[in-house]
Amino acid sequence: MSPLVVTLWLLNVTLDTVGQLSFKAAASDPAAGDGLARWRYMASRPWIWVGLISYVAEFLVWIAFLSLIDLSEGVLLGSINIVVVMIAGRILFREKLTPLRVTGILLVTAGVAIVGIAGAG
Amino acid sequence: MQTDSMKTDGMTRGKSFYFFGFLILVAFDTVVQLSFKYAGNHAFPPEANWAWIVRVFGHPWIYLAVIGYVGNFFTWMTLLKHAPIGPAFAVTHLEVVSVMLFSVWLFQEPLTWPKVIGAAVIVLGIICLAFAESGAHPEGDAPTEAKAALGVAAGS
Repeated sequence: MSPLVVTLWLLNVTLDTVGQLSFKAAASDPAAGDGLARWRYMASRPWIWVGLISYVAEFLVWIAFLSLIDLSEGVLLGSINIVVVMIAGRILFREKLTPLRVTGILLVTAGVAIVGIAGAG
Repeated sequence: MQTDSMKTDGMTRGKSFYFFGFLILVAFDTVVQLSFKYAGNHAFPPEANWAWIVRVFGHPWIYLAVIGYVGNFFTWMTLLKHAPIGPAFAVTHLEVVSVMLFSVWLFQEPLTWPKVIGAAVIVLGIICLAFAESGAHPEGDAPTEAKAALGVAAGS
């Protein structure tokens, strides 16, 4: 994998994490209310826009990434997003990390590492 | 909270509802990823400029990806109304396997051992995370047939 591929991969994980956490922040704001008012409130706050812009950028970064690497390898390496989002959720929203979750996180990371190391060699 | 009508719904829909629902979800996800790959190939080489973005949007693939995304969204929302989040989460990530197999067929990519082993380990991890999700919100769990659907989809 070239430095450009690694950069695009890291950029994709970062944008995905920022996007998902922003949507989470927008959706879980207790001051938002209900129904149409909730959507109006969310639109008046920055988080939903940060999320949308991150997703559009992520979309383009992902296409660029996939055009430089085998698709089968790309989707496997992309699985790291699940792990990073979960850990970031734990840090920012104090979501629980149960033993089963930790096992899942370690297995997904190990799988990505196997594919990544083989791809680099 | 579960209402009686939701429970009845889950029972009348049964296994085939979840099985085909999840199958459609994986199919949409697969189409999206394959379209992204085709879009990227047509716009090759990737550049951080406007010309590249114009090339990406100048071919039909990107629009197929968007259609797949929308289909995925509505299928997901329909399924989540009845299925617990854990198994649903797992199935949406099982697309790594279907995309890998389609890549071998459509793009003649080699199916190497590191990819097969890596994919198997990732899928195991995803199944753990799915069960962790189910356990974390027992009050939100749908009837057992959704779990059966996970078993069918995961081939276990």
